[in-house]
Amino acid sequence: MVRQARSEATRQRIVNAAVELFSEVGYQATGLGDIIERAQLTKGALYYHFDSKEALATAIIEEGADIALRAFRSISDPSSPALENMIHGIFVVADLTTSDKMVRTGTQLLKAFGEFNAVTALTHGHLLSEMVAQARQAIAEGDVRDGLDPEAVGEVVVGAMLGAELISNAASGGADLVDRVARTWTLLLPAVASAESLPYFAEFLSRESLRHLPA
Amino acid sequence: MTEQLDRRADATRQQIVLAASHQFARKSYSQVNLDDILTQAEVTKGAMYFHFRSKHELAVAIINHQTALSYEAMNEVLSRRLAGLETLIDVSCLIVGKDIGDDVCRAGLNLLESIGRTDGVQTRVLGEWTSAFAEVIRRAIAEGDVVADREPEDVSRVLISAFMGLRQTSDVNDPQRYFTDLQKTWALTLPGFANPDRIGYLNQFIKRRIALAIHNAKPLT
Repeated sequence: MVRQARSEATRQRIVNAAVELFSEVGYQATGLGDIIERAQLTKGALYYHFDSKEALATAIIEEGADIALRAFRSISDPSSPALENMIHGIFVVADLTTSDKMVRTGTQLLKAFGEFNAVTALTHGHLLSEMVAQARQAIAEGDVRDGLDPEAVGEVVVGAMLGAELISNAASGGADLVDRVARTWTLLLPAVASAESLPYFAEFLSRESLRHLPA
Repeated sequence: MTEQLDRRADATRQQIVLAASHQFARKSYSQVNLDDILTQAEVTKGAMYFHFRSKHELAVAIINHQTALSYEAMNEVLSRRLAGLETLIDVSCLIVGKDIGDDVCRAGLNLLESIGRTDGVQTRVLGEWTSAFAEVIRRAIAEGDVVADREPEDVSRVLISAFMGLRQTSDVNDPQRYFTDLQKTWALTLPGFANPDRIGYLNQFIKRRIALAIHNAKPLT
């Protein structure tokens, strides 16, 4: 029991050291030796937990995605309208992508590995299925335009957010992400919300943008 | 070994609190009979007196338990990171929902009314609630939803008085009515402290939540 806890603490120390180094000097420039030195551990300890730098990167992607997913789930409460959850959820995730080192590094690694890492499909898949579930609920609550498919709505929203993230990374190193997310939602909302619900959600969105944007 | 004993004692204590909540949620303080609690909790009188020296002490424990659960619920809502005033609206819906369908919440609030005047229990519990709400109102002022010249503690006290009064004038067994009355309470109090520009939006925000809350409500059986 105690041993397990200690082993978990060591693993976390390695992951945290890797997150720091990857975000300071980048994935390519970081060697396993640097990580061992930063974590103040032996080579053996590192190899006990991770057999390669890529395994370490995968762990960071998973942990970051897990933090973001848990944040999204925690706000997807049945007591609030699902379309609010969809809007609010994207802002909360965007905030975490800016402020949380694990999420930010995980997101960057995800992009670097996107082509050939199975974890990519899985990570986006989880967020997508949460979003589709919310879209389905929003349709049931009558806040979505007639005839829209929940899968399509979920895909477009998640896709647009990932795209905003990409552009934001290219344009500002991720600094203007929340602003881009706000603008993306402004364009998407009239395509998603029903005519009667649009004015309310447009105001919900503009309040959300104001609150999340740096003053 | 002692740890195991402690855990068993905790479980027994919890069993008594839950059984007693079931009783206090449905009957007034004076009507609740200790024997009924013992039967339902399946514990002996000795076990009960080991944990609670009197019916009064048991009642205060339920109030404290309910207060702790409400704070947990409030922190949960705070972690959703909505605007301050939206958070308070959500908390009010959540607590009304629990008052409708949860033994411990219903019992705790009933008891706060019936025995809260002795030993300063009401003063303490409502005082803590007032400060907790005032903290969030302060944020709502910074966010522009509450007008700047209102005293946060005053706004907080008015809201809590309105909610505590509401459960007496409304019907806790009728979700439709209780939630509709909650909506009216907000609609009537908001103009006293909310920024006039925001009132239209806030009423919509409340209306949408109340509709969902009525739909999701599960009354006590």
